[in-house]
Amino acid sequence: MPEPVSTTIGVCWLGYAAVQAYARGNSAVSSEARAVRDAVCAVVDQAERSQALFGDKAAAISQLRALANECGEPNWDGNDACPVNPMAVFLAETFVRALPSSIPLPEFAAEPDGAISLDWIQSRNCLFSISVGSNHRLAYAWLDGADKGHAVARFDGDRIPPRIVEGICSITSHGNASLRAA
Amino acid sequence: MATLPSGLPEQVSDEESLARFLTQSNYFNAVMVRPAAFLPNPKNGQTSVFRQGNESHEALWQVGQEQIAGERSLHGIALFKAKHVREVQLDVVSQEPPPRHANIIGWPSNTSDPELEKAKRKALAIQIAQHAELLRR
Repeated sequence: MPEPVSTTIGVCWLGYAAVQAYARGNSAVSSEARAVRDAVCAVVDQAERSQALFGDKAAAISQLRALANECGEPNWDGNDACPVNPMAVFLAETFVRALPSSIPLPEFAAEPDGAISLDWIQSRNCLFSISVGSNHRLAYAWLDGADKGHAVARFDGDRIPPRIVEGICSITSHGNASLRAA
Repeated sequence: MATLPSGLPEQVSDEESLARFLTQSNYFNAVMVRPAAFLPNPKNGQTSVFRQGNESHEALWQVGQEQIAGERSLHGIALFKAKHVREVQLDVVSQEPPPRHANIIGWPSNTSDPELEKAKRKALAIQIAQHAELLRR
């Protein structure tokens, strides 16, 4: 019967592969061993989920940087637009990293004033759009059938403002056929 | 009514189709033309559009390539009626040259709270985008 190990120490000491093997292959029967096995399984599951999530977020951030590069010169739209603001790119990346895993990732577009638009588009009558500019105050607007509105919320760089989370969830809860999976 | 050098009437009628040329593929997705495509230029507070008049879609593509895109790719055209602009309390006014050119004017621009004004502009852009038809080659 395997010796009980602390999950935290175990993950650090044994390494991910070893812990995964422990979690998946363990046939322990004592209650203590079962508890350890369950805890290790939880750690492994979370690590895998984080890895999958990171992959999607990394892809989104990569798209964001490509957009910033594409729209980094004045007049990128043929209508005398301002180049994308590097601070806006930084804040948009920070925003994407801070998004809860339950929220689909947005699509990006450059705006003529150099801000970045983060859009969750369910249909042409159901969408949520945030502008990330050069400071922490985020302008956003939404349309949900007959319901529409706009507001500003402060993003501290760490936690997405609850009103924005609620707004996005309200839009994406209608189904997510047109939204990128998180 | 006064006539412009393009032959179009000076006054833009509600039923006229307006074209916004899209030089970024990010300006639309499979569902719709995205609101960012309609936001005004910050330097003059206006959104540049072209009046379709009696021109074919093919002729519009040519106008877009020559007048806006230049060396860039013209990825699409957003077509919408002037009445959809006026329904949100904005206006469309002709401004030639170049021929057929017009501007969407009246966007909120109070500088005391720039982010709130931006939010208002986004809300209006969403409502225009809601009615826009996307043309792609």
